[in-house]
Amino acid sequence: MVKNKKMKKQNKKPSIKGLRHEEKRLGYIFASPWLIGLFVFGAFPLIFSLYLSFTQYDMVGAPRFIGFDNYRILLTNDVLFWKSLFNTLYHVAIAVPLGIVVGVILALLLNTKIKGMGIYRTLYYLPNVVSIVAMSLLWMWLFQPSFGLVNQILRPFYDLFNMEPLGWYKDADISKLTLIIMGLWTAGGSMVIYLAQMQDIPGELYEAADIDGANWFQKIIKITLPLMTPSIFFNFIMGLIGGFQVFTTAYIMTGGGPSRSTYYYSYYLFDKMIADNAMGSASAMAWILMVITLVITMLALMLNKYVFYMGEQD
Amino acid sequence: MKKIFLLGLMTLSIFALSACGGSDVPEGKIGIEFWHMSPVGSESYSGTKAIINDFNASQDTYYVKGVGFSFWDYWDKVNVAIASDNAPEVGLHTLDNVILRGSNGALFNISDFIQDDIDAGLGEFDLSVFNQSQLDYAEYDGDLFALPFTATTRVLYYNLDMFAEVGLTEADVPTTWSELETVAAQLNKTDGSQISQIGFDPTYGQGTYHGFLWQKGLDFFDENGDPTLNTQEHIDVLDWMINFNSSFSRAQLNSFGEANQILGIDPFAAGRVAMMIGTDSLYDTMKQNGADINYGVTQIPLPDENGIRTNWGSGFSIELYDNNDNNPEKAKGSWEFLKFLMSKDIQKRFCEANGWIMANNDAMEELVLGDPIRTAIFNEVQYAVDKVYIPYAPNWHAADWKTYYDEALAGTMTAEQTLAAARALYIQKQENYNDINNG
Repeated sequence: MVKNKKMKKQNKKPSIKGLRHEEKRLGYIFASPWLIGLFVFGAFPLIFSLYLSFTQYDMVGAPRFIGFDNYRILLTNDVLFWKSLFNTLYHVAIAVPLGIVVGVILALLLNTKIKGMGIYRTLYYLPNVVSIVAMSLLWMWLFQPSFGLVNQILRPFYDLFNMEPLGWYKDADISKLTLIIMGLWTAGGSMVIYLAQMQDIPGELYEAADIDGANWFQKIIKITLPLMTPSIFFNFIMGLIGGFQVFTTAYIMTGGGPSRSTYYYSYYLFDKMIADNAMGSASAMAWILMVITLVITMLALMLNKYVFYMGEQD
Repeated sequence: MKKIFLLGLMTLSIFALSACGGSDVPEGKIGIEFWHMSPVGSESYSGTKAIINDFNASQDTYYVKGVGFSFWDYWDKVNVAIASDNAPEVGLHTLDNVILRGSNGALFNISDFIQDDIDAGLGEFDLSVFNQSQLDYAEYDGDLFALPFTATTRVLYYNLDMFAEVGLTEADVPTTWSELETVAAQLNKTDGSQISQIGFDPTYGQGTYHGFLWQKGLDFFDENGDPTLNTQEHIDVLDWMINFNSSFSRAQLNSFGEANQILGIDPFAAGRVAMMIGTDSLYDTMKQNGADINYGVTQIPLPDENGIRTNWGSGFSIELYDNNDNNPEKAKGSWEFLKFLMSKDIQKRFCEANGWIMANNDAMEELVLGDPIRTAIFNEVQYAVDKVYIPYAPNWHAADWKTYYDEALAGTMTAEQTLAAARALYIQKQENYNDINNG
């Protein structure tokens, strides 16, 4: 009887409660640097910024509580708030799907068995390890309207259609698109994830499709893409969250211009804090952005039902 | 025992994370921290360090520890430190917004220290060595809350080699806007359809809209801080700026401007612009680049009628931070160090170490002797005026204005539209500021 009880105890699923008291404490000690990091450098600033969003705070005097005034003013009497929000939504709406399409196409191209494929894959991933500042400066020169390489290459087309060279990031009509195109240079990051998932697709599925007479395109549509939906979905969610924080490229390349066409939400938030000394208002903007991102992410998560998880079909 | 051990370990890890290092203030002395812009490894480090060492060597009571940050890092660090009552005892900041820190109780009242010295029979601190225009910016509510430490000024640089090419001499250097237009037109050069040299462009270098407005007795804001910009005179000045080189097409001007960017050096130093408004730092750029150009500097030409000799000048302030630590001895020591820094000899040494124009005119008069360019630049400091601090739009001259200014330059907005749009933004910012602060 005693032996049975002991055996039952041993067979129990291991849990924190099940661990010996000393081990538990040691666990906390080893985890303490991370826990301190989380609470001091993560949770505290988060909660403090929520408090600041209800204050008038110029970063010199003490914060003064003003209730919801920062939120009310931003939403009702701040033309730049809406302008920057529109610019950001535009960016997210185009950059995220386009990034997925390019990433998937790259993965399909790099999922073939040719000599030196490892080199190609490395080359496409390489932009992801380049500093975003260096990358922005590089693309500034490439897209430079008068002397840039892109317009030099396109010159025969301009001549053919008798049109003026594009102004790229200096033209308010296409500046956002220019930054989006530039951002595609880093599509190799998501490509790696797609590639990993592609290589996880069982070969038997393609063999069966071959026997059924499916062509390359049909195999892509009916097998590859459906089985890639988990990684597409993952990149979609991460892209959404990252897209709402777009800032650096605009800060370096365009300064938010021309005509505030690349004045993104995070850029305005930054200016509120640094240029206007309005930390309370900037904090309110940060929380509004968090709510917007959260709502859109929650809506996006509803697409989860269309994602095909192979393991669940067992 | 184990609990105590664990608690100790946790505390140790917290201290380790926020490791501050030990104090290096000699025993028995009161430590004072001074933040400057000469970090270790910079050219000016040894000069600044020597100045601090000399003060420390002269002291039995106080010990100054200097901490240097690069110019680009300095501002975030000092602003965060002030906000968290963790500022150095002595530090540099910008003169044009002393009022923000003075009115918020972040700074010690310098006038009180001056008065204390008089009461103690130590004599009166000599404020006459500073330009009154700079002292005005250090004042809040009738008292000084900082002292001007450095000064900058804007002047017209002219290339005498280019003048000579078209038969002009130094006597032809323009003094009025109409002369400027005439001379500049003579100095323009083209190579096919491309501009190869521009005589002058008011939007180049340090030419600013508010600078030209000031020469006409106008400004962005009235004495109450309300935005103006809606008069015909405002429109005329902006029109004059954007149409100065209207003999060229916008595409030609854009191409010329972009080529200047590609060169990566100042267009005046590169010999592509014959006359340009620049600060005193352009002189340093010319020297560093070893520019082989025969050039001179003079005051910025004035409007033809009722022009006011003025230019946009700014500068660093030196401030004593009150971190609410209620330590009068430390405050007194900070004042002693500040007086040391503002003395003529130390100001000269700071100029030699950093290349700045110092606020102490006595020091600068000796330093510029024998250098005609530097003398001409220094002569303009007395006419320099800093931009006014507008609490609802502290960055009114930069980020707020730039978007509209760029529209005017690109020709996508007329001068009138530009100014109306900029004014609308300032008015909205003012409404929102008043709503929060006075509502």
